[in-house]
Amino acid sequence: MMTDAHDNPLEAYVRAALALQGYTFDDAQIAEIVEQFARLEGIARTVFDWPLPFASEAAPVFRP
Amino acid sequence: MIGSAAEIAREIAAGARSAADVLAECKALILAKDPDLNCFTAKTFEGAGREAAAIDAMYAVGKPLPPLAGVPFAVKNLFDVEGMVTLAGAKINAGNAPAAADATIVARMRRAGAILVGALNMEELAYGFLTENHHYGTTRNPHDRSRGAGGSSGGSAAAVGAGMLPITLGSDTSGSIRVPASLCGVFGLKPTYGRLSRSGTYPFVNSFDHVGPLANSVSGLALAYDAMQGPDRKDPACAQRAVEPVVASLSLPRGIRIGILGGWFHEWSDPAARRATQLAAAALGATEWTELKSAEVARAAAYIITGAEGGALHRPRLIEQYVDFGPSSRARLVAGSLIPATWVIQAQRVRRQAYMQAMELFDRFDLLIAAAAPAVAPRIGQETLVINGRSIPTKAGLGVLTQPISCIGLPVCTVPLWPGEGESAAERSLPVGVQLIGAPWREDLCLAAARTLEQAGIAEIRPPSP
Repeated sequence: MMTDAHDNPLEAYVRAALALQGYTFDDAQIAEIVEQFARLEGIARTVFDWPLPFASEAAPVFRP
Repeated sequence: MIGSAAEIAREIAAGARSAADVLAECKALILAKDPDLNCFTAKTFEGAGREAAAIDAMYAVGKPLPPLAGVPFAVKNLFDVEGMVTLAGAKINAGNAPAAADATIVARMRRAGAILVGALNMEELAYGFLTENHHYGTTRNPHDRSRGAGGSSGGSAAAVGAGMLPITLGSDTSGSIRVPASLCGVFGLKPTYGRLSRSGTYPFVNSFDHVGPLANSVSGLALAYDAMQGPDRKDPACAQRAVEPVVASLSLPRGIRIGILGGWFHEWSDPAARRATQLAAAALGATEWTELKSAEVARAAAYIITGAEGGALHRPRLIEQYVDFGPSSRARLVAGSLIPATWVIQAQRVRRQAYMQAMELFDRFDLLIAAAAPAVAPRIGQETLVINGRSIPTKAGLGVLTQPISCIGLPVCTVPLWPGEGESAAERSLPVGVQLIGAPWREDLCLAAARTLEQAGIAEIRPPSP
C-alpha cells in the first residue's frame, strides 16, 4: 500500500529509499522498518538541535 | 575458579604446574559450567593440548617462557581463528569458509604463550547489549542464571565471571566489553580507538570498533594488553605507535586528579550504579563532580553513525537473505542503511565537538569516573529498564553510559563493584561496573586506578552462584 508523502512523509521516504536501494519487502516488513527508522529520526533530531559552529569539521578526516 | 593469568604464568614458569595440568583444569571447568551458561560456540581443546605440550617442552629444555605461557584464553566469535568459521553470532556467516589465519591480536596472544581453548557467544553481528542470540542461544549470567550476561561480548564476560578462564577477548563498538563486564562482575579494558589492531575481526562500525581483553584480574588485563599492542598496517585505524608496556607500572602517580561524571551519567545511573560509583570515587580520593555536557548528543551521534555504517555494511545481504538475520536486528539494520548523508555528517561534526569538550575536561582531570551500566543485570527477556523513574528499552539502554565515551574513542578500564543496592536480595547480590576513563593513550592510568581499587578490595571478582 503506497503512502501519500503529505500524510506520512517518513513512511513515504522509507518506501522510496527502500526502492532506490534495491530492497523488496512486504507491507508487514516495511512497517517494522518504518518503526525503526522513526526511532532513528527521533534520535537524529537531538543531533540536529545541537548548536555547532558553522565551520566545525566532521570527526573522520582521511589521512593518507 | 581458575586463577589469574599472572598466577598461572608464574606457576608454570616456576615448574610448580605444567601447562597441560592448567589446561586440564580449565577444560574440566568449561565442561562442567558451560552447558548451563552457553558461553562457548566452539571449543578447541585438541589444538590447545598441542599448544600446552609445546609450552611444557620449552620448559623441559630450559627455554625462556613468554609472558602468558600456558594461560588459557578464548575469543568472541568475531575474531578470525585459523581453520574456524568466523560467525560474528550470525547465521548468515555459518556457511563461510574457515579463516585462513588468526586475527592479529589472536596471533599476538598465542605468540605470548597463551593457549586458545575456544570461541565465545555474542549478540548477532555485535548489534546490541544483550547476548540473547536468536541463532546460538542466550548466554546466562554466572551470578544469576535468570539474568543475562549483557553484550555484545556476553560469552567473553560470562566465561570469566564463571571462573572458567582468566582472560578472554571481546570487541566494543558502543560498550560491548564494558556492559557485559559490568553485568558479569569482571574487569574489562576498552583501549583508545586505534590502539589495538582490528585486523582479522568481523567489522560492525568502522568509526567505533575497538577490541580488548576481559579478565579476572587487572594484571591479567595488563599482560594481555601488552601482548596485543603494536602497530599493524592491515588495520587502517590502528595507530602506528610503538608498544607502551603497562604491566610493570600499575601504580597511580601521586597527585592524580580524578573527576566524577555527573549530569547525564548520574541521571542514568540507578541507586546501585550510583553507589558503585561512590565507592570507587571514595577509594580513589575523588570528590569533585564534573560534567561532559555533550554526553547525550554524543550518544545520539553514535546511534546515527552506528545505524548508517552497520546498515551500509550489511545491505547486500539484507537484500538477499533478510530472513536469515535475527528478528531483533534485521529491521534496525535496514533502517540504518536508509539514513541520509546529512544525518551522518552532522553526527560526525557533533562527535568532533564532543571530543573537544572532553579534552577540555582532561585539562582539569587525569581520570574520570562513571558507572558502566545503568543498573545490575536485567532478567532474560526483560524488554524495559526503569532508571530513576524513566523507561528505556533494555537492548539499547544498557549502553546509555558507555556509548558517549566510545563515540570519542577514550580508553576505559571497567572494574567490578558490588554495591549491595536493590529492591530484592537477588539484585543486592549482583555487580555493577565502574568506568575509569582516561585521556587518549592513557590506558596506563586507567589500569593503575583499577589496580588501586583491586588492591583495596573495592573491585573484586566474586565466585559465581552455585
